[in-house]
Amino acid sequence: MSEDPYSPLVREYFARPVHAGDLDDGVAVAVGSQGVRLELSGAVRDGQIQRLRFKAWGCPHLIAACECFCARYEGEPAQSLEGFLATDIMQILPVPVEKTGRILVLEDAVRSLGQRFCGGSVPA
Amino acid sequence: MTDDWIYLDFAASTPVDQRVAELMYECRETGFANPASGHVVGRKSAAIIRNAMAQLEALLNAAPGTLVWTSGATESDNLAIAGGARFRAHRGKHLVTMPTEHKAVTDVFRELEKQGFDVTWLEPGENGRLDPDELARALRADTQLASIMYVNNETGVMQDIAALGSICRERDVLFHVDAAQAVGKVPIDLDVLPIDLLSLTGHKFYGPKGIGALYIANRPGCHVEPILFGGGQQRRIRPGTLPTDLIAGLGLAAEIAASSIEGDLRHLTSLRERLWAGLRDVDGILVNGDLENGFPGILNVSVEDVEGESLLLGLDPVCVATGSACNSKAQEPSYVLRALGRSDRLAESAIRFSLGRSTQKKEVEFAAQRYRETVARLRSLAPKAVA
Repeated sequence: MSEDPYSPLVREYFARPVHAGDLDDGVAVAVGSQGVRLELSGAVRDGQIQRLRFKAWGCPHLIAACECFCARYEGEPAQSLEGFLATDIMQILPVPVEKTGRILVLEDAVRSLGQRFCGGSVPA
Repeated sequence: MTDDWIYLDFAASTPVDQRVAELMYECRETGFANPASGHVVGRKSAAIIRNAMAQLEALLNAAPGTLVWTSGATESDNLAIAGGARFRAHRGKHLVTMPTEHKAVTDVFRELEKQGFDVTWLEPGENGRLDPDELARALRADTQLASIMYVNNETGVMQDIAALGSICRERDVLFHVDAAQAVGKVPIDLDVLPIDLLSLTGHKFYGPKGIGALYIANRPGCHVEPILFGGGQQRRIRPGTLPTDLIAGLGLAAEIAASSIEGDLRHLTSLRERLWAGLRDVDGILVNGDLENGFPGILNVSVEDVEGESLLLGLDPVCVATGSACNSKAQEPSYVLRALGRSDRLAESAIRFSLGRSTQKKEVEFAAQRYRETVARLRSLAPKAVA
């Protein structure tokens, strides 16, 4: 018997990822493991995240997780990225536990982006 | 085409024909009695079953008394392979099959391996077909049974059953054919084809689920040992009270198929050509199988650099099957496509479109358009860097 593996929120984010793309004037990080590829880019001003964009090659949950992250963290302090936990996104969407590895790739990318922002190489 | 979905998964199951559904409903009144009962109501059930048997025999041109009712193709495959191998075990324990068979076949062979049988697994060519010479070379003095499917459930590839069966017949090897995807869809003449055992199921050709049959040729040395034991029905080969309404439904589905099979094939061929015309220009698309020697109701394609699960969801509301056992709990590339030489990634991106009697031109056009759009969208979402 099969159940729908995708919540309405996952379906919505997967179908309409408004943050898909990249930024010409932002900081970008790229990671790839667990069979997925991911690029995050963002721009901050006065310590606040102005814009976030992503590109992803992976399953619908990963794409939805990237979109969910971007939607939730625009306008937040750049510092908050360093405390980002994949488990938070997994609960919101939700994401099945067997896909934890893929969402941890997003966590790695987010923290890496946070370090770039807070390490002094942040565009004005 | 409904407002909610487009069903292109007829190889998984077909809708029950309305005429079949009505007959089955009627049978709940007229054929509820146990067909083994000798009273007047029981004899009515028995007559319904005899009529259905005649309808199925006519579809297959099978001799009277050669069909046994089962619960479906899985049971038929089990009975044919395990029952046939055990029946001939005193002569030898070598068996032959292919890794691209349905699990209902491969898992029986794996079980027989555990029980001391020696199984040769013949690899297909890149197009999924088995070279008859390969089969001839694999047969040994102690080979007792070979099992090769008629139409592959994932790729639609059709084997040269006449040639393969002739080789088995010459060497007195039981030849079993899993024809779950073929019966009612392609012409099968069991009076001509050298087939000893043939499995079928009702729900693949607009009949009900839960009912199938096994053909056992009426020739010396061709028999199976039962795998179920009980009331002695069906010459003790497959005991159990027969489900009159399901059997009546399968019988009528067979009669309808016999009269519509040629028209269905023309319809499916036209639809598949239209579908492929809408897909063939997608960059990196590959056909899994063999269009030339394939059943026209199935088109299985992979595409480079697109993630399979996202492709499947992106095709929504087009109902298709993926090449992988793809759900949130398990993602394994299709063992059938891996056997054809596809990489894990290409196998995971495989989509099986399977068309049916009710499929419309506008549905395949929509499906092709949705496929093209989804591939383009997912590629635009992907980072350029190769991991």
